[in-house]
Amino acid sequence: MSALVTLESVGVAFNAQLRAAAARFWALENVNLTLARGARLGIVGRNGAGKSTLLRTLAGIIEPDRGRITRAPVSCQLLSLAVGFIPHLSGRDNAILSGLLLGLRRREIERRLPAILEFSELGDFFEQPISTYSTGMTARLGFSVAMQVEPEILLIDEIMSVGDTEFQAKSGAALRERIHSGTTVVFVSHSDAAVREICDHALWIEHGCSVMQGGVDEVLRAYHAAAPAAQ
Amino acid sequence: MRLHLIELILFSTYAELRAERARSYLGLLWWIIEPAMNMAVYYLVFAIVLRTSQPDYIPFLLVGLTLWQWFKSCVSHGGYAIWQGLPLIRQVKVPVQVFPSVQILADTVKFLFILALLLVILWGYGYPPNRAYLALPVVLLVELVFAAGAAYVVAAVMPFVPDLRFVIEQVLTVMMFLSGIVFSLDAVPDAARPWFALNPVAVLVDAGRGILMHGLWPDWLALGRIALISLALYAFGALLIRRWTTRYVKLPT
Repeated sequence: MSALVTLESVGVAFNAQLRAAAARFWALENVNLTLARGARLGIVGRNGAGKSTLLRTLAGIIEPDRGRITRAPVSCQLLSLAVGFIPHLSGRDNAILSGLLLGLRRREIERRLPAILEFSELGDFFEQPISTYSTGMTARLGFSVAMQVEPEILLIDEIMSVGDTEFQAKSGAALRERIHSGTTVVFVSHSDAAVREICDHALWIEHGCSVMQGGVDEVLRAYHAAAPAAQ
Repeated sequence: MRLHLIELILFSTYAELRAERARSYLGLLWWIIEPAMNMAVYYLVFAIVLRTSQPDYIPFLLVGLTLWQWFKSCVSHGGYAIWQGLPLIRQVKVPVQVFPSVQILADTVKFLFILALLLVILWGYGYPPNRAYLALPVVLLVELVFAAGAAYVVAAVMPFVPDLRFVIEQVLTVMMFLSGIVFSLDAVPDAARPWFALNPVAVLVDAGRGILMHGLWPDWLALGRIALISLALYAFGALLIRRWTTRYVKLPT
């Protein structure tokens, strides 16, 4: 299998404060990672270990401050819901706007609008401003738009369950279907069960450093064995 | 990639204008009412209270304020744009220059409405269209480049120094008075004139008044000089944004 993305000693620093001489805070110190085509990688680690920063670095939202990131020319996207939604715009306009922000071309989104309308079950509300929507309706629209983006590498920060119970089951099923359709996936989660279910191997990161990459069971066992020591 | 960027900017501009319309009771009417009220205030102060004894003061003021307000809104709205876009910048990979560009475009659309209205009013006032109108697009284009350049520079710096927003309005007010918007710069001492000739807004407004009120062709040399200054500022602003583009996402929330 060929590597789609490789991270070598990658570090990412954030500005701690808006001051000229403010110290920088290294959210990622030293991460090594290899992502093969078709792989489903789970990232485990404690709160503040840098999991979300790592995901956003993979997505290209954040550029590393040190180390090297090598990428094959493939699309790589974070699954994000309701990106750029504006309350006073209709569901249709928001779907187009959000799709554009997620990197789709206008005509691609227009073509997918019927699918978005159908999946979100919004009916006539699709033409209404989303300020009139319930939280669940907005979440349904957000999820339906996000699912229209089909990157070659899908990055997921925790499995999302949105909307009412019925839609949760439906959106969960759609997401699982996408994950198991051969897409390369990077999945961040606190849940061992979810990582076991979705991933074929795992990476453990601690204080911004990659500690171990390997089989799911092996990595989870080492991670939990280290838990008392780390606290 | 490039086409996608254009689609994103155009649709975001449409979304911006549409949302703005929906946010108020009178909606689109505010595009006209707000600048009209602004003009009325200056008319009240300068023509009635201070008794500015200048011939053609009303058209003089209308043309000046119309061109000024376009510049000002581009700089203030565009200048805030990256700073306000930070939550989105942290969420998705989006080219940062989209944010100020959308604001500038939205303000330009609104300006075109007001300009059309201005031309009608001027005609009714006894200043019919003339041959020099052909030069108007050139003057407006230079102003757009200058406004975009100024907006890009402010937008690029604002996320690092949000304190700038307390300063920017004051700077714009001073600039308005130095640009001969509400009163003529005839009283400026000769020694200071070369400096005023470097102020793009003053030159552009002057050219605009010449065209619309007197049927005069612009001073092409002065306009060319201003065009160069504007292009340089635009390039500088675009460069700043490009240079700092990876740093915005790392700023503290």
